[in-house]
Amino acid sequence: MEQTDQLILDTAHRLFADQCDAETVNRAENCETPDRLWQAIFESGLTLAWVPEAAGGVGGSLALGFNLIRQAASFALPVPLADTLVANLLLAKSGLSVSAGCWAAMAFDGHEVPSLLQGEVSGVVEAASGAPGATVVVVPVLEKEVVRIATFAPSAIDMEHHESLAGEARSRIIFDSAIPSQLSAPVDGMTVDGLKQFCALVRACQIAGALEKITDLTVGYVRERHQFGRPLGKFQAIQHKIADIVGESALTGAAVEQAVRKLSAHPVPFSGDSDMLLPLATAKIVASEAAGRVTRNAHQAHGAMGFSFEYPLQQYSRRVWSWREEFGPEFYWSGRLGMAVASGISSHGSNHGDGGTWDLVSQ
Amino acid sequence: MESVRFSFPAPEIDESVDELRKEVRAFLKEEVRSGGFIPVTDCWCAGVDPDFSRKLGQKGWIGVTWPRQYGGRDLSALHRYAITEELLVAGAPVHAHWIADRQSGPLILAKGTEDMKRNILPQIAAGKCFVALGLSEPESGSDLASVRTRAARVEGGWEITGTKLWSSGARHCQYMTVLARTGERDPDKRHAGLTQFLVPLDSPGVTVRGIRDMSGVEHFNETHFESAFVPDDAVLGAVGEGWKQVTSELALERSGPERFLSTFIVLEKAMQHSAAGMNGHQAAVFGSILARIRALRAMSLGVAALLDQGHSPEIEAALVKDLGTRLEQDIIERLREFWPIQMKQGYGDEFQSLMSDSLLRQPSFTLRGGTNEVLRGIIARGVGLN
Repeated sequence: MEQTDQLILDTAHRLFADQCDAETVNRAENCETPDRLWQAIFESGLTLAWVPEAAGGVGGSLALGFNLIRQAASFALPVPLADTLVANLLLAKSGLSVSAGCWAAMAFDGHEVPSLLQGEVSGVVEAASGAPGATVVVVPVLEKEVVRIATFAPSAIDMEHHESLAGEARSRIIFDSAIPSQLSAPVDGMTVDGLKQFCALVRACQIAGALEKITDLTVGYVRERHQFGRPLGKFQAIQHKIADIVGESALTGAAVEQAVRKLSAHPVPFSGDSDMLLPLATAKIVASEAAGRVTRNAHQAHGAMGFSFEYPLQQYSRRVWSWREEFGPEFYWSGRLGMAVASGISSHGSNHGDGGTWDLVSQ
Repeated sequence: MESVRFSFPAPEIDESVDELRKEVRAFLKEEVRSGGFIPVTDCWCAGVDPDFSRKLGQKGWIGVTWPRQYGGRDLSALHRYAITEELLVAGAPVHAHWIADRQSGPLILAKGTEDMKRNILPQIAAGKCFVALGLSEPESGSDLASVRTRAARVEGGWEITGTKLWSSGARHCQYMTVLARTGERDPDKRHAGLTQFLVPLDSPGVTVRGIRDMSGVEHFNETHFESAFVPDDAVLGAVGEGWKQVTSELALERSGPERFLSTFIVLEKAMQHSAAGMNGHQAAVFGSILARIRALRAMSLGVAALLDQGHSPEIEAALVKDLGTRLEQDIIERLREFWPIQMKQGYGDEFQSLMSDSLLRQPSFTLRGGTNEVLRGIIARGVGLN
């Protein structure tokens, strides 16, 4: 990461720390919009981190955006920053105009995308994210196997708003021969699977950030809380739970960092190329597996306190439990990763590898 | 509230590392093809073949990071990392020289006398001189500071008396690094008064006896020292500094690829067997294991990069070993679903034999070099609990 990236991250960290305490997160779930947080984010231009400078954005690297997403998740930010970042990136990559100072909804959940026929969009997106409060809905659509990006004004389409396990907005959107307000040309190298892989990495980064916060909360709690006359953290049984939490959280960090590096070195981030599958699947598998292990240990160490709505742990548990399912859980990506390596071995001779599992997984 | 944050940067790998990796891989392939060695599981502890170690020495693949004047090649830690990875995944019989290459050599380089460096390091690099670790004792395992082996000052040197236990491969070794008590025990300063010695195992008063382990191999040893004399210049480092030296030696050996690749050869063969007809369930099991290996490798390489940048990533290294050694065990447990393990090694085909051998060897993975419980204590202390 470059020095300017670090400056932006530091600024974002201060902004989140100032404007997004645990109470803000809980209040947001009770329908109290965090106006000051919204305002601060829009003023800072963070939603444009992935938009090129020429298009009025920050022109940040892929690494910057993913780090921003990870950091936002470590505050359980109750705003669709991650979704807007991805939506704006799609707009920029497809040559459509991007608006500053507003949220953009991502009408893509990793499943089938709506189809485009003679300029009209039809199909259903079951779990679009960030739709309530968004001024634009961004939809990848397929026309004859080619991906284009379409946008709609929220008022022009039929939406049912639901909430994820974590209280994050997930909306069912029905497109019935809807005419988009903007429609891009076919986007070079973009595939639906490539989009799904990219979004899976977004969720993995969010899990990594949330697990870091869960680690901090749990370490802090067992240092403060006394039982049997000493801090919980003095008990070896608790120490070993902490070591497990730290290990899974660190492993998730390593997994998302290697994926971001690989993706950054790739000319087209949404291509779904076979050499990107391994690093991206690795990130989502490790993150999703860690989500279960870390939360189990963290709740055990917290006792009843961690189970209460007021204490912040639950905001992070519920987030990682929903994020691990979105864009494919560990089971889905494990199956794909296993199959990809198996077919790499079977097709040995027709590609450049030496036919070994090691050769394939050590790339 | 303090934050627990780790970063695992990518090491800078130049082309020469990739070239070396390819060269090692091609050599090992040819060795397997020509019957030069039969792949073994847990090869860095169970595969002893001094001739093979000599071959690697001739290739110039031992002690590569040491200065040329002492038989090394002045290469980077990442060159060594690539060599060790390739040896591990091929199941090559590398135990004879492993400890000397990994830690005794670097220890001699850092703390040894000029004579040791000139005479012993080139021999290690040539694959002709092997070194065993003399740490554990009958009454000292995880609690290493309680060692009872004593070195008493005599004219011109020291007399060592005591017993070292569980030293891997000692019967093939010419030397042992012995941790001995040189000062009085002080309950308040448990780590004081310990010193490391480099002891030739053919010294009078030293006897080495093999101990068979549950997998049937006699790689463990019990070594008795009966007033064994060593000259003054056998002291490694400073008198009384033994504890500090040993702990930094152990910290550095925790994060290498042998902490997550000990059973990779079994996984490789299992994949080769099932690739053509793989079903969805098998794919998910393999995929989950392979993802974890990839993540651990990123972590382990990250620690290598941090070391290279001059940091001391002690917690990170302990994390690699705690997670990695449990993964090595899990691999065998999960493969059991498709290949039950029932018979002793030698019955059934080569693959079944590897599975049996792995199961019988896996209890040691989470013990050697410091138990995982000790490591978790280090991790917990590292994040502010004690």
